Amino acid sequence: MRPFRLYEPTTINETVATLSELGDDGKLYAGGTELLLAMKTGLLQYDGLVNVKTVPELEGVSYSNGTLTIGARATHSTVEHSADVLAHAPLISSVEHRVANVRVRNVGTVVGNLCFAEPHSDPGALLLLYGAEVDIASPSGTRSVSVEQLVVGPYETSLAGDELVTRVRVPLLPNGMRGAYLKFGYHHRPTLGVGAAVSVTDGKFVDVRLTLGSAPPKPTRMRDAEAVLRGAAVDDPAVAIEAGRIAAEDCDAIDDLHGSAEYKRHLVQVFVQRALTEAVERGVK
Amino acid sequence: MTQQKFNTVGQSVRRIDSYDKISGRAVYSVDVVVPGMAYAKLVPSPLPHALIKSIDASKARALPGVYAVLTAAELVNMETHYGSDKKDRPIVAMNKVRFQGEPVAAVAAVDLATAEAAAELVEVEYEALSAASDLTSALLPDAEPIHDSNYCHEYGYEWGDVDAAFAGCDRIFEDTFVFPMVYHYAMEPHTCVVSYEHDRIRTWTSAQHPFLVRAELARIFGMQLDQVQVVVPYVGGGYGSKSYTKIEPLVAALSREAGRPVRLAQSVEESMKTVRRHAARATIRTGVMNDGTFVARECLSYVDTGGYTDNGVRVTERISDRIVGPYIFDNVRVKSYGIYTNSTPAGSFRSIGGPQASWACESQTDIIAEALGIDPIQLRLKNLAKKGDEVRRGKRPLEGDLAPKLQMVLDKFGWDTYVREDPSPTVKRGIGFACNVTNSGASPTSTSLVRFHADGSSTVYIGTTEIGQGSRSVMAQIAAEELRIPLASIKVIGSDTDAVPYDRSTGSSRSTTLMGLAVHDAAVDVREQLLEIAAKHFETFADQIEAADGKATFKGESMTFGALVREMFGGSGGELMGRGYVTQNHASGRLTQDPVFWEVSIGAAEVEVDEDTGTVKLLRYVSASDPGKAINPKQVEGQDEGAAMQAIGHSMFEEMLFEDGQFLNPNLVDYRVPTFEDLPGEFETVLIEFGDGPGPYGSKGVGEGGIVCVAPAIANAIFNATGVRLRELPLTPERVWRAIEKSKQ
Amino acid sequence: MVQANQKLTVAFNVNGGDVEIDVTPETALVDMLRDGLLLKGAKRSCDMQVCGACTVLVDGLPVSACTVPAFEVRGKSVTTIEGLAADDRMAGLTDAFIDNAAIQCGFCTPGMVLAAKSLLDRNPHPSEDEIKDYMRGNICRCTGYKKIVEAIQEAAQKAVQG
Repeated sequence: MRPFRLYEPTTINETVATLSELGDDGKLYAGGTELLLAMKTGLLQYDGLVNVKTVPELEGVSYSNGTLTIGARATHSTVEHSADVLAHAPLISSVEHRVANVRVRNVGTVVGNLCFAEPHSDPGALLLLYGAEVDIASPSGTRSVSVEQLVVGPYETSLAGDELVTRVRVPLLPNGMRGAYLKFGYHHRPTLGVGAAVSVTDGKFVDVRLTLGSAPPKPTRMRDAEAVLRGAAVDDPAVAIEAGRIAAEDCDAIDDLHGSAEYKRHLVQVFVQRALTEAVERGVK
Repeated sequence: MTQQKFNTVGQSVRRIDSYDKISGRAVYSVDVVVPGMAYAKLVPSPLPHALIKSIDASKARALPGVYAVLTAAELVNMETHYGSDKKDRPIVAMNKVRFQGEPVAAVAAVDLATAEAAAELVEVEYEALSAASDLTSALLPDAEPIHDSNYCHEYGYEWGDVDAAFAGCDRIFEDTFVFPMVYHYAMEPHTCVVSYEHDRIRTWTSAQHPFLVRAELARIFGMQLDQVQVVVPYVGGGYGSKSYTKIEPLVAALSREAGRPVRLAQSVEESMKTVRRHAARATIRTGVMNDGTFVARECLSYVDTGGYTDNGVRVTERISDRIVGPYIFDNVRVKSYGIYTNSTPAGSFRSIGGPQASWACESQTDIIAEALGIDPIQLRLKNLAKKGDEVRRGKRPLEGDLAPKLQMVLDKFGWDTYVREDPSPTVKRGIGFACNVTNSGASPTSTSLVRFHADGSSTVYIGTTEIGQGSRSVMAQIAAEELRIPLASIKVIGSDTDAVPYDRSTGSSRSTTLMGLAVHDAAVDVREQLLEIAAKHFETFADQIEAADGKATFKGESMTFGALVREMFGGSGGELMGRGYVTQNHASGRLTQDPVFWEVSIGAAEVEVDEDTGTVKLLRYVSASDPGKAINPKQVEGQDEGAAMQAIGHSMFEEMLFEDGQFLNPNLVDYRVPTFEDLPGEFETVLIEFGDGPGPYGSKGVGEGGIVCVAPAIANAIFNATGVRLRELPLTPERVWRAIEKSKQ
Repeated sequence: MVQANQKLTVAFNVNGGDVEIDVTPETALVDMLRDGLLLKGAKRSCDMQVCGACTVLVDGLPVSACTVPAFEVRGKSVTTIEGLAADDRMAGLTDAFIDNAAIQCGFCTPGMVLAAKSLLDRNPHPSEDEIKDYMRGNICRCTGYKKIVEAIQEAAQKAVQG
């Protein structure tokens, strides 16, 4: 790895000021599980890395008033084992449990994962299901955007060079809504992730959220697929099939090592149906 | 075979290298540091096929801390090419590059960072040639020849009258099967330290065959064998990837250029660009009678040997040797070609040609069974070779009956009582079976020295490298058994060509059988000397004396072995030496024929196929290892389990992907090897010990059999479950799904 | 802030002893341990956090030393295989690996044993599925995994029996 300078700010203000100063030569560094790998292979190069782990304000996982807050420093492991997450959104814990391997989970952060925006990954698609939002700090102040607005493409976010995501806020699913997340793949990274959250009244879908990860270029809400489900009978298989078909059509998959676009679209159809079934069954229990 | 009572042989004793390895103090080549050592970095070719127009290393050489840059121009006053059969591999690329990653230059510098920086300053101008990275494109008539042509080697044999026989058959089957390029992934990449000195070369290298490396280095640099020392520390995995000579000549030449020792520690990516298994395309045409009698078989195979020959000659031959299966055919015509492609050179890999051949022939056995309406096991039993049969004409007859061995696996698997239970209409289960015999490449060329010390302890010298198979332990057990002393009194010294006597190689399942015989004989030599000393002492004949537990006893009176040695030398010191020579003319008379033994492979699999996604779960797998006599049973099991798991890899998801010569997945994120989660729910090895081998105690080699039958057993199980037949590996979910979809049309 | 090519002092505890060593920011933990402290048990294999040959424990948690920078262990407690082997309390785990023939070439072994230790520290009675799930990030190319699972099961059982 090429030499780099290490910056260790202790406040958010210091962090974004340093980022601003460094410009294109600098990058935020948390777990480094993606960033350092890219730097080792020479795909990315930065003269300076700004360590966010020395900033106490960015710590931890907490829960308050129906919202889980995950600080920028929180590792996948911290989130996986957090008492707050297990109590209020165990689905998040179980998905985090399957990220990469235990060593990556102990070091890599959830916020870092969102910001690196590796397409073949689960946390983005999962947090999209919850309608999560991120808080962003910069020298000029703070702002918030949804995860959907944060991740715009493969390895691409809407962040400016001097912006730091300080936390992600995850509202719990509204009462009556149950979520499921299925992932598929046999490589080190996933081939497809499908998140489904549904509420059911009188045997009909009331509210539906459907997200896809890994197959599309970025975590994506499949709104057209959701639309055919709302108001439809839960036990009408044709509806789920149609939703799967629309999601597959919309998912913008490409051929890569994980498979052909055609196969991925087929998987989308299969797993949308399976995820819906599982989400419905969770509601029944 | 007499029922001998053993003291340590047959026991799963603790491996003698266990503590070294679990304490972290085991030394591997990358741990070796030599005074004045420089660090090397390769300059690889980015192109798969190109002429080298010019190399300018001046900027690199000028970088402070750089000792030398090696290019073809520096290969003077030495041989420039090497190879185990054809010497077609240049030490660094000369005039032309033939695969992406071929070393064009190498830098030696004061540290790795400097070497890496200098490597980037080496300027190479290429003129690209069109690249052929698979068999199809390499065989096109207008393909740009990689060497003089794209044909590396040709092999074949025949007996009977195939054409007449086909004419008389009831049914003829013709199928083509494809086996992918896969990589060994020994977790320790190729690594060596070489110190080139004016009158000698010393190397510490992760190599499987130190004596062959010694010969190659001596030849290249014009030195005598005694001037070249090859030391092999513990090897972090071999499986054939470290057979013969790989990076040692380059590092030696670089050391000569730099005037100091040099270490090259490759990355996994660089090792994936050093060697791999031969991909293959095999077409089998089999003629049978309606009652299932096998009559005639004609095979044509192409193996992809990459940019250079490496072990391409032998693999081309072995795939043909193994593709007839464990069956009797009166009419056979087999042909194979080794073909160059612009990709990583292909060399040895656990059972060379075996998995490729068996993938083809054992898949077709079930195709035939299905078409004839005959049970696949019955079809096999009907045609299976028996003990004494010349399963391959001109070669050693089969030394043991196969049918009882098949039955042991079937019984363990519960084949006859299997009841199929599909979890759902789209998730199907099924069972499959496969078997084969492979002619071991073991060559009987081994020597051993046993020293017996004045305190009753002993040192055993073997050329075998410890690559994980547990050779040091097995040799210690054999020596302990024959010396009649405790295992704890034995030390094994291995794989230093200056210290140990000659052993040809570690591979082709040969060590227990052949090195073991040499150790056995050397230990017996010592024991006989001890008995002679004891006979003098007790004033009787040697055959009247009992040797056991470190003592010689005659009529109730004992002398320890140590005391006997001291008595002979008349003081407190002294030493006895025993030697063992193993050649084709070994006194046992059991090594005169080729192959030295037949290695048996048997596998039974149960799979569950999710037809919606094509995912195949391996629920159960029963393998077999047939060591004749297991010196250390747990070690034998471990070797078989490891081999089977590597086969699960090439069966289910391992595949090196090349496109127009570009290597797409040269790393562990994109090249998927098996993990704990790929362990089948039930994973058993049946230990077969009929004492039918030529090695010590009726033993014969293991370690390769387990990798041979997994793929066809799984494919046969998929067919049994879904009615869908796959002919190409790996059986990725997409491939299986597509086959299922196609079958619905 | 640390300048490029300048070094920073990493003061930490390794295998029960306090040490201080100067490293550049880009130095990987595995290189500091192997070259700086001559603790050669941790190995570099895939160099991409996939294989686990470089596994060491930092404050009891397994990490990929090939990618984690050395400066990250400032003020922390690192355990390498050398520390484990010297610890009598770990004899059950090391004996289980040896007795179950869970070691062949040994290159994965230091990382594998440390990962197993961290599993048993967190979950003293893991089921077979839990073992496979936790350990799936440690690759072995020699053993086929079965004997490693058996070793971990035996170590867990013996710990219960005391």
